[in-house]
Amino acid sequence: MLQSSLINEIKKIVGKENVLATLEERLCYGYDSTPEAFLPDLVVRPDSAEQIQKIIKLANLHLFPVIPRGAGTGLSGGSLPVKGGVVLDLTRMNRILEIDEENLVAVVEPGVVTSHLQEEAEKRELFYPPDPASLKTSTIGGNVAECAGGPRAFKYGVTRDYVLGLEVVTPTGEILRTGGKTVKSVTGYDLIRLYTGSEGTLGIITKIILRLIPKPEAKETMMAVYERLDDAAKTVTLTIKRGIIPVTLELMDDLTIRCVENYLQIGLPLDAEAILIIEVDGPADLVKKQTEQVAELCRASGAREIKIARNEKEREEIWAARRAVSAAVVQIKPTKISEDIAVPRSQIPQMIRRLKEIASRYQLNLVIFGHAGDGNLHPNILCDQNDPEEMERVEKAIGELFQAAVELGGTLSGEHGIGTMKAPYLKLETGEAGYEVMRAIKKALDPNNILNPGKIFGSERNG
Amino acid sequence: MDNLARAADYLNRCSKCGGCQAVCPLYQETRAEPYVARGKLFLLKNHLEGKLPLSAKMKEIMSLCLLCKACVNQCPNNIPVDQLVLGARQKIAQEKGISFVKKNVFQHLLKNNGRLTLAARLGWLYQRAGVQWLVRKSNILKVFGEEIVQKERLLPKMAKRPFRKQVPRFLTCSRPKLRVAYYTGCLTNFVYPATGHAVVNVLRRHDLEILIPEQWCCGIPALASGDEKTAAELARKNVEVFQRAGVDAVITDCASCGSMLKEYADLLGTPEAKAFAGKVLDFSQFLSEAVSFRAGEIEVPRLATYHDPCHLKRGQGVFEAPRRLIRKVPGLRFKEMKEPDRCCGAAGSFNLTYYNLAAKIGRRKVQNIRETGADFLVTGCPSCIMQLRHMLELENSPVQVLHLAELLSMTYSSQGQANESGRGCSHAVS
Ligand SMILES: Cc1cc2nc3c(=O)[nH]c(=O)nc-3n(C[C@H](O)[C@H](O)[C@H](O)COP(=O)(O)OP(=O)(O)OC[C@H]3O[C@@H](n4cnc5c(N)ncnc54)[C@H](O)[C@@H]3O)c2cc1C
Ligand code: SF4
Ligand code: SF4
Repeated sequence: MLQSSLINEIKKIVGKENVLATLEERLCYGYDSTPEAFLPDLVVRPDSAEQIQKIIKLANLHLFPVIPRGAGTGLSGGSLPVKGGVVLDLTRMNRILEIDEENLVAVVEPGVVTSHLQEEAEKRELFYPPDPASLKTSTIGGNVAECAGGPRAFKYGVTRDYVLGLEVVTPTGEILRTGGKTVKSVTGYDLIRLYTGSEGTLGIITKIILRLIPKPEAKETMMAVYERLDDAAKTVTLTIKRGIIPVTLELMDDLTIRCVENYLQIGLPLDAEAILIIEVDGPADLVKKQTEQVAELCRASGAREIKIARNEKEREEIWAARRAVSAAVVQIKPTKISEDIAVPRSQIPQMIRRLKEIASRYQLNLVIFGHAGDGNLHPNILCDQNDPEEMERVEKAIGELFQAAVELGGTLSGEHGIGTMKAPYLKLETGEAGYEVMRAIKKALDPNNILNPGKIFGSERNG
Repeated sequence: MDNLARAADYLNRCSKCGGCQAVCPLYQETRAEPYVARGKLFLLKNHLEGKLPLSAKMKEIMSLCLLCKACVNQCPNNIPVDQLVLGARQKIAQEKGISFVKKNVFQHLLKNNGRLTLAARLGWLYQRAGVQWLVRKSNILKVFGEEIVQKERLLPKMAKRPFRKQVPRFLTCSRPKLRVAYYTGCLTNFVYPATGHAVVNVLRRHDLEILIPEQWCCGIPALASGDEKTAAELARKNVEVFQRAGVDAVITDCASCGSMLKEYADLLGTPEAKAFAGKVLDFSQFLSEAVSFRAGEIEVPRLATYHDPCHLKRGQGVFEAPRRLIRKVPGLRFKEMKEPDRCCGAAGSFNLTYYNLAAKIGRRKVQNIRETGADFLVTGCPSCIMQLRHMLELENSPVQVLHLAELLSMTYSSQGQANESGRGCSHAVS
């Protein structure tokens, strides 16, 4: 617990109304989109880097943990106050400071909601591509801290590919600026990449300079249905061989299809093994040509049905199926454990087979969907949090699925981060040496272990 | 078992995805997690697990909900958030009791007709008192600062004579096709009689026998304050009156009353209540589905836009009917605004209790309205009308706020209106 004199000091920094101390309010800042929750000692809602700097200085003096938090939509437990302390809610810092149309950059505060920035950019015929499915709620700060990706990542890359500069309050309370409006910069170590994906453990991001690109002129959407999963995978390989890079290549497996059909009744085939949702964008005439080519490739690789959206309404219908996945699958069982392993694209069929084998061995409900273009799969285990015996099997299955991903040359997390959920498995991928380097960095930058303790380095809970 | 405990299953269905943040008007203004559905549900879950008492803070958080159902619509897991909040308010009311003033108002609502008028006055009084109490007590308000004067201006003047005292109880015509009852709602009756006259004027053009029986408050203010018992008693009384009237349809001009009347089936669970609820139709729904609507011939050469009341669109699934009717007004042009179904901030008496918060929500609405360049803002709920008129007035905007009935009524020649018996229609006081 924080002493009341300390709370008063914090109140002086950010204003009384921006310090939330009641049990009810604190409870509401102790969860994210994972099933877990903890209770912070205090919630503080700062408005500037300077306020944050003062709070961090206090934290180093009095040794309390500080946990940065955006919208709390993380799927790896990144913003959970596992050791109590102060949750730093950054959603009040939500100004878009500048959209520089000449240099194609945006300067934003961390609390800006992803889709707000996208809307503002699109008003100016510009485009900010990273599109996590949570974009209507997640914050840019959270996106940078998790290096969020999305369906468009295959063609346009992930958040990391758009960060040009950062302002960061370091764990010891200094304000650091790195990068800027230039596309090129090789001055010293690449701190931008270090902070991007650092999950709130190395600094609090208070300003972000982002690269924008011109908005693509046209977009086409189609859906292809496959009797065999391997045929869907073949389409992906063939398309890329042809030199076509679709914006999205979303895959849904058989169980996912059945759940969605059960839920929406839109006439999806119950005996199909896979569905691909493919989108291409670019200059209008090129997009038209590529759409035909992709449709042809789908057919050639054995798709039994291809639907190309003729208008916005049909495009919506196709995406409705994909968007319904989350809701549809929880009809099986209430607790959803979302993983997000990624493997080299060519290993997708193999990975899916391994996943299914693991699920059947542990008698678990598993649905698989994800971004086939970049090998990022979302195996989701549907279970019941209140059934300890089942949760034990889930735990074991997760261990094995991470193992499988790494064996196939892949990674534990394509986009959700390590947080607390994947912390125990980190070494599987980094190895001992990699792990030690990461820990050394954390120790050097945050000697008092103030910032977001208990994350990433889970095997030793103190990080 | 209370309603909240019955709904516990829903609480486990919240995956905490945060999707509700994108649509909750309260969250968008405060960006504070306790006020979004996810936060409220998490608190209720903690409460049901015995980890959190129904404290004063809980009471405040639960009262900070517009019941606008935007989150319900958005939620991938179909969680009826508004019902859960109502369940919580009910439980809080049971445990803590409801305030002395409120209790008095609701008690009066149950009494006979003469007192209803008094109750309405008391209602305003209560709201003023409540407002002052909150100004002093509530922390969140301090964030926004307070403007009591504005609040006084929000309260419209009471009608000199209630609407139902101005019209006969029974209007008929030579060859009636249907026999319908008009449920007038308290705001139309006590504050906006013009809406009532417009409703009658439009209905009268459609070969109907119209009854306006003596009736009671729909009960939504009581229910929203957690007093389910009073709400149920009012429901029983209304069901009895309207079932006795033997009508084909019960027409309402108020989105909130309408959604409440339709919920009587669940609230009471009796066959009579079910039969009654099945007959309730919103004014726009009735004109567009039960009869073939005929607009008058007078042109209205203006630009109009439409605001979806929460309790009409998400509460009753009615949003196409009013638009269809608006498009039938001769000479009128229609332009859709941005976010037409976003809450205006009225939410019953929310705008009185949390004036500045409601005003922030309302300002965004007003901006969307003004961007269309419309002359008329048309809607289907007197409570929204009160809020929107006030918000537009504050900005000295010339936009005129009309109930759909008032717009449609403009198209008929005034001849019919002057001659109350209209074309072949006559009325008798029953
Ligand atoms: C329905 C749903 C769909 C999703 N889809 C995707 C998807 O397609 N792709 C994807 O990548 N992710 C997805 N996610 C996960 C999540 O939305 C992302 O990780 C997102 O980036 C989190 O943003 P946030 O603002 O909610 O951050 P939070 O959850 O609040 O925080 C996430 C992490 O960032 C840190 N942090 C937040 N702000 C700052 C800051 N300013 N400075 C330093 N550290 C900070 C926190 O400490 C924490 O470790 C999804 C989540 C949900 C619920
Ligand atoms: S949208 Fe529904 S499931 Fe998601 S957090 Fe809100 S209430 Fe919970
Ligand atoms: S009903 Fe409306 S105000 Fe209440 S939580 Fe849902 S979206 Fe927010």
